[in-house]
Amino acid sequence: MTDHPILEVENLCTTFSRGGTALPAVRDVSFALGKGQVQGLVGESGSGKSVTLRSILGLARHYGEVSGSVRWQGQELTTMSERQLRKIRGREIAMIFQEPMTSLNPLLTVGTQIKETLTAHTDLGRRARRDRAIEMLDHVGIPAAATRLEEYPHQFSGGMRQRVMIAIALAASPKLLLADEPTTALDVTIQAQILDLILKLADEMSMGVVLVTHDLGVVAQTCDTVSVMYAGRVVEQGAVRQVLRTPRHPYTEGLMRSVPQDVPPRTQLYSVPGTPPSLFSLPEGCAFAPRCQAAGPACQTARPTLQDIAPGRQTACFHPLPATQEDAA
Amino acid sequence: MTQTVMKIDDLHLSFPVSRSLLDVVQRKPGKSVNALNGVSLELKQGETLGVVGESGCGKSTLARCIVRLYAPTSGQIHFEDENIFGAAARKDRSYNRRVQMMFQDPYSSLNPRMSTGDILAEALRVHQMRPESEIAARVAELLELVRLPQDAADKLPHEFSGGQRQRIAIARALAVEPEVLIADELVSALDVSVQAQVVNLLLELQDRLNLTILFVAHDLRLVRHVSNRVAVIYLGRIVEIGDSETLFSAPSHPYSQALLSAAPSLDPDDKGAAIQLEGELPSPLNVPSGCPFHVRCRHVTAQCRTVVPVLRVLEGRGEVACHLAEEVNQHA
Ligand SMILES: Nc1ncnc2c1ncn2[C@@H]1O[C@H](COP(=O)(O)OP(=O)(O)OP(=O)(O)O)[C@@H](O)[C@H]1O
Ligand SMILES: Nc1ncnc2c1ncn2[C@@H]1O[C@H](COP(=O)(O)OP(=O)(O)OP(=O)(O)O)[C@@H](O)[C@H]1O
Ligand code: SF4
Ligand code: SF4
Ligand SMILES: [Mg+2]
Ligand SMILES: [Mg+2]
Repeated sequence: MTDHPILEVENLCTTFSRGGTALPAVRDVSFALGKGQVQGLVGESGSGKSVTLRSILGLARHYGEVSGSVRWQGQELTTMSERQLRKIRGREIAMIFQEPMTSLNPLLTVGTQIKETLTAHTDLGRRARRDRAIEMLDHVGIPAAATRLEEYPHQFSGGMRQRVMIAIALAASPKLLLADEPTTALDVTIQAQILDLILKLADEMSMGVVLVTHDLGVVAQTCDTVSVMYAGRVVEQGAVRQVLRTPRHPYTEGLMRSVPQDVPPRTQLYSVPGTPPSLFSLPEGCAFAPRCQAAGPACQTARPTLQDIAPGRQTACFHPLPATQEDAA
Repeated sequence: MTQTVMKIDDLHLSFPVSRSLLDVVQRKPGKSVNALNGVSLELKQGETLGVVGESGCGKSTLARCIVRLYAPTSGQIHFEDENIFGAAARKDRSYNRRVQMMFQDPYSSLNPRMSTGDILAEALRVHQMRPESEIAARVAELLELVRLPQDAADKLPHEFSGGQRQRIAIARALAVEPEVLIADELVSALDVSVQAQVVNLLLELQDRLNLTILFVAHDLRLVRHVSNRVAVIYLGRIVEIGDSETLFSAPSHPYSQALLSAAPSLDPDDKGAAIQLEGELPSPLNVPSGCPFHVRCRHVTAQCRTVVPVLRVLEGRGEVACHLAEEVNQHA
């Protein structure tokens, strides 16, 4: 599929502890990302998507226990010193955090925050930093950029703050972008513009992207591959076309059915029955079993592992949904 | 059934922008962000009014005016015929309970040092919703309502994922049994399955309690699904408002047409035919003369550059603020 992967994540596990009990937030996540490739990460709220990104970047190890391997261009990140990691963060690998208000400093103007990133991660001079800051705000669609550089985060709308975060992340031309719901607060026209910008950078600068989103339309339009997470584990992954068109895992299928499309207005939407399990007391067998219509006796006692079901396509289920003709082809 | 509960009249709000030192030295006049430029609308009892529009167009500002977090520069809001910014209404605390807002960013609106249970109990106590002896049971009921596990009561906001935190905010708003809900990007941070649950919950509660909902969101599929009527806002003005199904199946304003065409399809091979918006992005610092959309509109004429179009009924559609509404929609 690709030459050499630039990012290889293998059996990534992250555990928090709360009051002496272990909380397995991420379990055995593995995937590889090629140059310029866009990988989607979807799944229920609390399934471990953000923690996965934070673990890749070496942030989660400050408050949780991380094991497994994250290789970035051949270097192992999980064991790297904080000093070395800091050189990679922001410059080679940039992250857009999920909650822009908590990651922007309320006391500094937006311009100062972009310029700080540029000071830390590029060799640009003062003048060039200001120009680049304006250029970046322009790219992410913030009008009257020169004036708005002098403003503070609370003077921006929710979506504008999110765009500032994107501008900061992309300012230093990273080689890998970890984007945690970057367009959630944006209207569809700006969303399209920013996704285009990200795709363009992926294409022209060979930037790899891991994109967390719950908008399956965004996955369909932007990602090459996608992983679906449930209760800390990947339950299905593969090429976007195949996963979205013919989901093989019952949870993926449930997600697809929940989208309000072709349903009469103001009627009840399909939603996966039940609630996700507490990470403190995961079911013994398949974590999805209590909510799964296809569950059989084996599902209650044994945990399915990710298996190859087609080239580049994996699922963790004892009773996967049938493949279609197209899928087999 | 179609009784008006809230009436918004010609609402304007501008925020002054702090002048930079250079501006002061050069004696430039102070600028302002014109967030709302004359919004008028009515909320009818028991309906859901969807509000869509570009990021920064003033949706949250409108929502914040309705719950009196911002005072408008001019214009009025009446709730059951009473001016909510009048002296009498200001003294009356009941408005704060009857009209509840759920915020876009739940993290900054939840006290990080209070457990979920305490957050909910506080809301119940402030508005004296239950006697002290029934508070614990009601908290449990609310957690159940938004499908949070019962052990959630003892946890702090930071111990939850983004989506779980959003459900705490919903539970808090519902705790005081409001009549009007202002939902600003309520479900944006939720995965589709939980989104569906929350939407189902809203529709069900709306039916049961005759709730009136203002639903601000970017997900057009979702807005279409929940709304009876929809308002499209552009640069602080309503440019189109009408029946949800009519508007989504045949948007009439050139901006609505562009907006709706940009929704990403679920089919990877359907790249869609998004209408590209040309021209510079609009800025609320400098709202264009005439039709605010004229700098990006493909149908622009000389009249559009000077005369502000007002909302008017377009036969078979809703109300549209466009000089050329008939011509633009001739072939539709
Ligand atoms: N700092 C932390 N300490 C303890 N537990 C945490 C911490 N951060 C996250 N968790 C827990 O880890 C699990 C995974 O959280 P994560 O934020 O990765 O979810 P997510 O998939 O990103 O969800 P969402 O879609 O809601 O953002 C959750 O159960 C959450 O409560
Ligand atoms: N407290 C404030 N001070 C100064 N300007 C503000 C303030 N709040 C909002 N604005 C400005 O008012 C305009 C409208 O903002 P608002 O938050 O209402 O937009 P929105 O439609 O909710 O956008 P989004 O979809 O991104 O949430 C923006 O230009 C914003 O920068
Ligand atoms: S392993 Fe069993 S319970 Fe789990 S998803 Fe598959 S069928 Fe359902
Ligand atoms: S009034 Fe003119 S510029 Fe404005 S939307 Fe209509 S045609 Fe376009
Ligand atoms: Mg997250
Ligand atoms: Mg907003």
